Amino acid sequence: MGRQIIEGILRRTASVLLVLFVLSLMIFVLARVVPGDPARMALGPSATAEQVAELQAEMGLDQPVIVQYGRYMGNALRGDLGQSLVTNRPVTDDIADFLPATLELVLVTVVLVFVISVPLGVLTARYRDRWVDNVGRFFSLFGVTIPSFLFAVGLQLLAGSFFPDWPILGRVDYQLNAPDGPTGLLLIDSLAHGRFDVFVDALQHLAFPALALAMAGIGQITRITRSAMIENLRKDHVLTLRSFGVPERVVVFRYLLKLSSIAPLTIMGLEFASLIGNAFVVEMVFGWGGFASYGLTAILQKDLNALMAVVLISGLFFIFANLLVDLALSLIDPRLRLRGAKA
Amino acid sequence: MTAAWMGWYRFSRNPAAIIGALIVLSVLVMAAFAPLITPFPEHVGSVVDFRNRHAPPSSTNWMGTDKAGRDIFTRTIFGFRVSLMLVFGVLVISVPVGAVLGMCAGYFGGWAEKIITGFTNVMLAMPPLVMALAIGNVLEPTLVNAMFAITLLWWTWHARLVYRVTVSVAGEDFIEAARLAGAGPVHILFREILPNCIAVISVKTTLDAAFVILFGATLSFLGFGVKPPTPDLGSMVADGRQFLPEKWWEVLAPGFAVFYATLGFNLLGDGLRDMFDVEA
Amino acid sequence: MALLDVKGLNISFSGYGQTRQVLHDVSFSVGKSERVALIGETGSGKSVTAKAILGTLPGNASVDSGAIAFDGLDLFRQSMAEREKLKGTAFSIIMQDPLSSFNPVFRIGQHLDDVMYHADRRRGVVSSARERKARILDTLRKVQLADAQRVYDAWPFELSGGMRQRVLIALALLHRPRMLIADEPGTALDVTTQDEILRLINRLVDDEGLSLLMITHNLGVVRQTADRVLVMRHGVIVEQGPLAQVFDAPQDQYTRDLMAAVPPLYGPGVTDQPVSDMPPILTLTGVQKVYSKRGLFKTGEGHLAVDDINIKVAHGEIFGLAGESGSGKTTVARMMMGLLEPTKGKIAVNGTPATGARRLSQIVYQNPGTSLNPKRTVAQTLAVPLAHTEAAADRQARMEELLTLVRLPVSFLSKYPHELSGGQKQRVAIARALAAKPRLIILDEPTSALDVSVQKTVIDLLLELRESLGLTYVIISHDLSLMRNFCSRIAIMLKGRIVEQGTPAEVFAETRHPYTRALISAIPVLTEAEQAQKPTVTEEERAKFLVPTGAEVSAPAGAAE
Repeated sequence: MGRQIIEGILRRTASVLLVLFVLSLMIFVLARVVPGDPARMALGPSATAEQVAELQAEMGLDQPVIVQYGRYMGNALRGDLGQSLVTNRPVTDDIADFLPATLELVLVTVVLVFVISVPLGVLTARYRDRWVDNVGRFFSLFGVTIPSFLFAVGLQLLAGSFFPDWPILGRVDYQLNAPDGPTGLLLIDSLAHGRFDVFVDALQHLAFPALALAMAGIGQITRITRSAMIENLRKDHVLTLRSFGVPERVVVFRYLLKLSSIAPLTIMGLEFASLIGNAFVVEMVFGWGGFASYGLTAILQKDLNALMAVVLISGLFFIFANLLVDLALSLIDPRLRLRGAKA
Repeated sequence: MTAAWMGWYRFSRNPAAIIGALIVLSVLVMAAFAPLITPFPEHVGSVVDFRNRHAPPSSTNWMGTDKAGRDIFTRTIFGFRVSLMLVFGVLVISVPVGAVLGMCAGYFGGWAEKIITGFTNVMLAMPPLVMALAIGNVLEPTLVNAMFAITLLWWTWHARLVYRVTVSVAGEDFIEAARLAGAGPVHILFREILPNCIAVISVKTTLDAAFVILFGATLSFLGFGVKPPTPDLGSMVADGRQFLPEKWWEVLAPGFAVFYATLGFNLLGDGLRDMFDVEA
Repeated sequence: MALLDVKGLNISFSGYGQTRQVLHDVSFSVGKSERVALIGETGSGKSVTAKAILGTLPGNASVDSGAIAFDGLDLFRQSMAEREKLKGTAFSIIMQDPLSSFNPVFRIGQHLDDVMYHADRRRGVVSSARERKARILDTLRKVQLADAQRVYDAWPFELSGGMRQRVLIALALLHRPRMLIADEPGTALDVTTQDEILRLINRLVDDEGLSLLMITHNLGVVRQTADRVLVMRHGVIVEQGPLAQVFDAPQDQYTRDLMAAVPPLYGPGVTDQPVSDMPPILTLTGVQKVYSKRGLFKTGEGHLAVDDINIKVAHGEIFGLAGESGSGKTTVARMMMGLLEPTKGKIAVNGTPATGARRLSQIVYQNPGTSLNPKRTVAQTLAVPLAHTEAAADRQARMEELLTLVRLPVSFLSKYPHELSGGQKQRVAIARALAAKPRLIILDEPTSALDVSVQKTVIDLLLELRESLGLTYVIISHDLSLMRNFCSRIAIMLKGRIVEQGTPAEVFAETRHPYTRALISAIPVLTEAEQAQKPTVTEEERAKFLVPTGAEVSAPAGAAE
């Protein structure tokens, strides 16, 4: 039994490394073969040809792509992701500055998705075809259908007219002098420093961006939870419990909820990539100065080192989220834990 | 009671599915006959009418005008054309490619399976939007490149889905029976397995149409769309956004149009899913 | 007064805009400590009857008229809460499919405890977790689960099918109900396990003085477990009466057909198939198959599926390979077809090695539902083998000929599988096997997915085809009563080895291996006379081959099923 768990972890780690390797190679090659000279971009149109050549040599751009990639990965493993051409700082420093903002937004979003959509999914399944179901289904369809950018813009507009006091741009009011560190997540740092004013302000800033980012996930997860519940309601084991008079609420909220959480968790893991993608849009609309905004700038400015880092870290985000999902699934489902097989 | 009758019964008693079908139909009709329906077809080009900039909705300009004084209603209807072209361009390549590769991976197993599932796993790990932005930008931000970028990613979803169906179908006795009766791999893939995937593929394709519209609009919202002045729903929203909240109508029509089209395809896809009774 | 009294019950289902009546004026009663069997084939309405009594009818069912009284209490007039109170205490059900009857992500004990806790609460009894557990463990021991504690802590997938079925019986007994409703108990299990389950139910019913409503399609089971019999067809009770009366002198034609369709084990009705003295068409010499384990840490040890198999099948004979699940009989069949390579030993078809000569042999699968492609018409299915054997111009004629051979109308060529019944589908599958003009056909449990009355017609068809086309059959089955009458020679497999081989007459008359004795004695039969002729099994042998112990826990149950 233990062997299967170790095997599973090893297999997963191996595939994680493979995924990262292929991803980085793909982006790297793509970025190097296409027209557009990063050295020229960095120096601007006024630089001389010698200056450009010098920078190219310094950046190793005159070497074959595979050598460049080898050197890049070698450095990356030592924690050096190169210089950003836009900020003129080490990319790692940039990431350290921008990542916590996105992390905070994404974490709050994930919590929001589960808190809203799981109960809603259970309710709509339990009261199938009744008004609760119809309202819930319309709501989740809206979530799936509306593009993030549209919902973000609309939310901003509505917030402006209905909650004029709530901030719709940025992470925190700069006049508040938010404390620095230790985590970079304002909600945690502010509490660590006992600054409730900052905590409340950060929460207010988070409310609309997080809702905008969560909407797609809420729609998706509600639908998945509902259909998993409905499918499981037809199973024989439900009939077993009902035949012996176990009350409906126990059947639904204990037995079915646990079994039906497998599908939404799996989907949440898979959809994590599009969540990160939507973060690019939401951060832009709400001026969220996070990692996604940084990535968008990097893409627009052809800032290769920054772009590579953004892609790799997006991939890491996905992989890490899915490791957590796998862990949660194996806690829920003994068949995964004890047999090491996907059910 | 035949399966077809039960499917049709489910579909026809499902108002959401009917509404979806009607919406999709209306979008197709509007796009096809845009020059006939719209009051100012010439506003699709680089027309500038400074006297009539930012005009609010009126009887002449039903949805108002934009910063260049062009009729927003007209441009929105024409915007459907770009969205549908994107849908067509992406799906016409990625659906067959994904289906064939998925079937091969599922049926042959071994290396084909390892490579194809491995590749789709990599693609899954990447936010498609980031990927499309990166590709679209290192090339040039045009519709064709956007299409290319989306296609590059999109086939993987179909491949995964068809792979999953194929694996379950390939284990059935009738596949082995066909092999024993002398059927070759081409016959088995396209005559035995493919017919069993059609329902799943058509549901997924319909839902995908919604996704591609949404995705394309998002790309153009971020500035990676069609070259101006061609109307494009996402970039119209992005343009109009600069004048919010005073000039709200400039965002309203294109924004609603995106929502309308994605809603239609989503409703239709859900209806088909219930009708075929498949997971997709 | 009868304990259970069903009067004039009419129930219909609605769906897709249509209403279908599934029970027509069903009336019967079950007395105190009486054992009643409800017999019927697929779709006869027997399970609906059980659900109506229990109060677990699906939402699209409606009770149009009629009444069910339990101990004088009109069930349809009770409030929801009062009906709930009866569940598990007045009557309880032994569920049918032990595989899916438990929620896979909850332990066995959790299911039992929740059922007990809520039943206690409804009756106003306050019970502690500890006291409940003691009662549950007691009940588990009562159903011969010796290691009750381990079963209590096990996950559903860790138990074998037989053990799960026992737990389901324990579940029904938790609150000492007055009546048990058993819905095809053990049907999905091996014949020896099923026999044990039936003995157990019988003993419990006797010991506790319970009433029993046994729902089954197996007439042999009925003889073992019933005092009175109800025969149901298309929602109508066509015959009822005491067991002896119905079995000895069935009045209704349908009952007579059902009885006639059960192959006899002993006595004058038994058929002996002639033994062939022709040269062998299929020879297996010292065949062994080891399945290697896959995984990162390969340790070399594999699972020995079959070992030391020596079989000669002569031209024109019907060779039977009998065994329970996990015995290796399917592995042997797949190797005969050339679908698997043996690890050791030789398989020769008509003197040539099996591969390449594959066209000589074809297969008919157990489940016609999965062996025909649902998206292809009968003609399209038949066209696949004909593409290799017939010129394009002759194909249509050959297809029609094939359908005629299997006694299907030619118009069936344009039908899809979902338009056919189970028996018709199996005939199409046989036609497909014949299309390639094979000499040898492997029959993999060809009738076990079919209703009893259909089984007989398919078997008769196979016998005729062998006669007219000069075929050789190898049949794989767990159904010894079928093989007794159908085979010219049989081999019994146990744990990958052949333990006994010979003509059915020999094997049934003087059984050498104790496992064969156990297997035969477990077969449900129709008459006392046959029962008396079955070999006896000592308790020691029974313990060795049949009775499960706690040690079975955590065996990979899924792998064997």
